[in-house]
Amino acid sequence: MIFAHVPYFVAGWIFLWGLYGIVTSKNLVHQVICLTVVQTSTYILLLAIGFKTGGTAPVFADIPVGTVVVDPLVQALMLTDVVVEATVMALLLSMVVKANELAGTIDPEELKIMQG
Amino acid sequence: MTITALIPLPVAIPLIAAAFIALTGSWLGRRVSDSVAIASAGTNLVLTLLILRGTWSHTYVYWFGNWWPRSNNVVLGICFSVDAIGAALAVLVSLLTTAALIFSWRIFEDTENHFQPLMLIFMAAMCGFSFTGDLFNLFVFFELMSVSAFALCGLKTLEPAPLQGAFNFAVVNTIGAFMILMGISLLYARTGALNFAQVGHSLGSQSDALVLVAFLLICVGYLAKSAIVPFHFWLADAHAVAPTPVCVLFSGIMIELGIYAVARIYWTIFQGPLAAHASEMRNILLVMATITAVLGGFMCYAEHHLKRLLAFSTISHAGLMLAGVGILTSKALAGFVIYVFSHGLIKGGLFLCAGIVLHRLHKIGEHHLHGRGRGMWFTAALFIIGALGLATCGPFGTLLGESMISDGAKQVHQGWFAYIFMFVETLTAAAVLRATFRIFFGWGKPAPTDKSSRIDEGPETKPEGVTPVLMFVPAAALILLGICITGVPQLRSAGRANAELFMDQPRYASSVLNNVQLAAPEEKKPESLTPSIIRCLATGLLALLLALATVFRNRLGTALKFTRSLELGNSLVRKVHSGHPGDYVAWLAFGTALLGGMFFWFLR
Repeated sequence: MIFAHVPYFVAGWIFLWGLYGIVTSKNLVHQVICLTVVQTSTYILLLAIGFKTGGTAPVFADIPVGTVVVDPLVQALMLTDVVVEATVMALLLSMVVKANELAGTIDPEELKIMQG
Repeated sequence: MTITALIPLPVAIPLIAAAFIALTGSWLGRRVSDSVAIASAGTNLVLTLLILRGTWSHTYVYWFGNWWPRSNNVVLGICFSVDAIGAALAVLVSLLTTAALIFSWRIFEDTENHFQPLMLIFMAAMCGFSFTGDLFNLFVFFELMSVSAFALCGLKTLEPAPLQGAFNFAVVNTIGAFMILMGISLLYARTGALNFAQVGHSLGSQSDALVLVAFLLICVGYLAKSAIVPFHFWLADAHAVAPTPVCVLFSGIMIELGIYAVARIYWTIFQGPLAAHASEMRNILLVMATITAVLGGFMCYAEHHLKRLLAFSTISHAGLMLAGVGILTSKALAGFVIYVFSHGLIKGGLFLCAGIVLHRLHKIGEHHLHGRGRGMWFTAALFIIGALGLATCGPFGTLLGESMISDGAKQVHQGWFAYIFMFVETLTAAAVLRATFRIFFGWGKPAPTDKSSRIDEGPETKPEGVTPVLMFVPAAALILLGICITGVPQLRSAGRANAELFMDQPRYASSVLNNVQLAAPEEKKPESLTPSIIRCLATGLLALLLALATVFRNRLGTALKFTRSLELGNSLVRKVHSGHPGDYVAWLAFGTALLGGMFFWFLR
């Protein structure tokens, strides 16, 4: 039964490593990728929550009613999550491209314009 | 019921209009896009006002696709459950968007961009956010609102500063959104539900580590949106560089919606599990509120970039608003709503005034502008009225909000919070007055500079010798509405009755799950305003004296040296606001750990 909790720890672990990457990053592109690492932890958490031992795909077209299936709702949540975050990543990366064009750097340390 | 049929429209109509403008904008031209956008925002204003009138005494629940819960309290559909508080926030959203869109008639005239569709999507998301009765739906609207906000913030892609601001904003808020999603998933894992009412109903009063972690994650996510210290760093960078009409929405309502979400989720879901620890909860929130208010106030006074100054003033007022929620009484909650509404109008008006200054003088740093605003008397007058509104000195809606939050604090034996109000309002109002005296009257010596105030903002408009009517009227209208709101009959008693409804978890659950329409309870007679009026007059006077002392310190002698250090700010605190997204995320993690520690120490 101890293994039932492993996915939750993995999710937390990935979340924290992603944060570590963002905090220490010296490159904006790397920072955006670290953000997707943080996001991956939410996938694992959702998978862990929706999973049922022995469950099959929740498509009732060709399986009898009453079959054990995994939770279909978390898939909908995850799909929304994927779509929204893809937008955010695209937006962030396009900002990085623009920042590189304007300031000639993608080091967040050198891009500190507004501060104090 | 006709009101029920209106409920989805404030979200649907702007989304359709946004799609229409995005598709046809390049053929129909800028002016047609502008007109469609303003018409859509105006329609939203009328619709939300109708909904507010309907919900003044009753709540309404709208089930999408008519999927109302058929049996055993099991919710399968998604609902908008609207009460007067949600409706009032939606009215504020529509009002500010309308004003911002009218103001923007003269902005970005020669560039092709996606300004209007983004503004409409932003408005639709914020209306949906204040109406929804579903956790995941709240998250989706939160994300929709965030993404359009990131894009709007970085709209001026020809300057590096907006890109930096938008990047920091996006990174911090996206991590906040992931935390919210994790919190929602944990709640779903425990209860198998996403509807506020059903989650609250299933949780009952059971409280354990999982519920606390979920509450922590959701709280941090929404508090990061509402710029509560130590999650506030992104706000000053983003607000200072966003286009002016966008700042109006950021400061006027977006921040406040984060606090609203914490309130909504606390009272519909976590009130039961945390019932035994309400006073500890209150203390934690009040401590956060106080730190935010005081730090924001000091930083506000130390800024000389006009928009960044207003941004820090928003942070400190966000602290005051958090207190309105954190006191956990119906009176303070009603005060919160009134304060949010009037603060949104006044702060929105002040940002538009800053936009007028940028339009006329093409600079935004206080030292560049010294004395150059002579002759712009109407704008100067608006700045002064707005500053008095921030000081609650006069017949402003903020006065009613302040008095209710302070009375609420006294009820729970935290009467000292009234002095925090006075202190913070003195600082923020004095900062605006000081800038006004220097810019428009040319009094005293030019302001000292700081790193931010030396950054020039590119002009948003073509140069012009007079203030266009379409810029001045929205600014004046917002600030004057901040005064007119006090004329709404029975504002305080109705606010209080609706706040009681907002806080009543069992009745909220029955209204959603069993389709019972709720009526607001009997209206109570509001208490006397006299103590608040005395406090507020004192605040206004202190703010005026502080501003004058700062401006004329060279003439008035060494006793006023302290105004100089106040204006220069603490160099360590300044350094902490480093403009580096990594630092901000480190603070976010630190704040989460600290808040989590407090939750586990005090709320178990």
